[in-house]
Amino acid sequence: MKNSNIAVYPTGPDALEARFAYRIAARLNERAEALDTDVSERLRFAREKAIERAQAARAAEAQVVSVGSAATAALGSGWWVKLGSALPLVVLAAGLLVIQHLHKQAQISVAAEIDAELLADDLPPSAYSDAGFVEFLKTPRD
Amino acid sequence: MASDKELSDFLKSVEKRAFKRVAYAVRDDDAALDIVQDSMIRLAEKYIDRPPAELPLLFQRILSNATMDWFRRQKVRNAHVRNFSDFETTDEDGDFNILERLEALDSSAGTESAADSVSRAQILLVIEAEVSQLPGRQREAFTLRYWEELDVAETAQVMGCSEGSVKTHCSRAVHALAKALQAKGIAP
Repeated sequence: MKNSNIAVYPTGPDALEARFAYRIAARLNERAEALDTDVSERLRFAREKAIERAQAARAAEAQVVSVGSAATAALGSGWWVKLGSALPLVVLAAGLLVIQHLHKQAQISVAAEIDAELLADDLPPSAYSDAGFVEFLKTPRD
Repeated sequence: MASDKELSDFLKSVEKRAFKRVAYAVRDDDAALDIVQDSMIRLAEKYIDRPPAELPLLFQRILSNATMDWFRRQKVRNAHVRNFSDFETTDEDGDFNILERLEALDSSAGTESAADSVSRAQILLVIEAEVSQLPGRQREAFTLRYWEELDVAETAQVMGCSEGSVKTHCSRAVHALAKALQAKGIAP
């Protein structure tokens, strides 16, 4: 029958190893706490330098955030920024449509001028379909 | 995000152990101080946005990597040879029974021992020397696990190996230390 008043400590290999290891670690701590003054001073200097760098990193991060937010504020909300970025594409498409329209108008007006001259001439248009008349036109004159 | 005070307190709590651990590895106090300083700065610059609870593991990883970088730069072949020795089995123990030895050391703690004639400071020096003479991976596993008090999974993460390897390294380190210290009549 087990006596519950007796404290039972783990005595397996793992527990023994761990107890021994922690005792060694405690001795190492004692040595570490008794470091030379110059080493302690260099460690303090290193720690302060690290804190300075952390402050600089935080300041740089804060600056990036503030510049980003200022740019967003200047351009307005997200929808306006998206509309602004799409504007050049819209202008380009409109320009291409206008150029196509003007080119078509120019072709129509040239064809209309030719038709008007043909109709206004004394020679009837059917004359140009006559093979003899075409041959006459091709013949060089003296 | 860790505040300046939290970062400072954390660094203050680990700096001496960090210096000692690196000094055991590189065996050069100036180089160890440089490595610790570089690691502190790297932690402060790159990971200041992390919560304070993550700092210990991050710092140990940075410190281990910085130490490894130092060895790479120095091209100290001996360090690599020492690491390979971790994989070797030692048959020289013969009938050495580690459990008996640990039990003997465990029961002799706080009692009279052969080391009583030696001053406490000298005992500490011997213990430190024995720890520093452990093979690199064993020493790293032992100090991370029992000195920095990381758990097995965290130690494995810092060392970049499996949890089984950590247990093996720790066990071998404890056995080697027990054997060496008992040979010198020292009970830690």
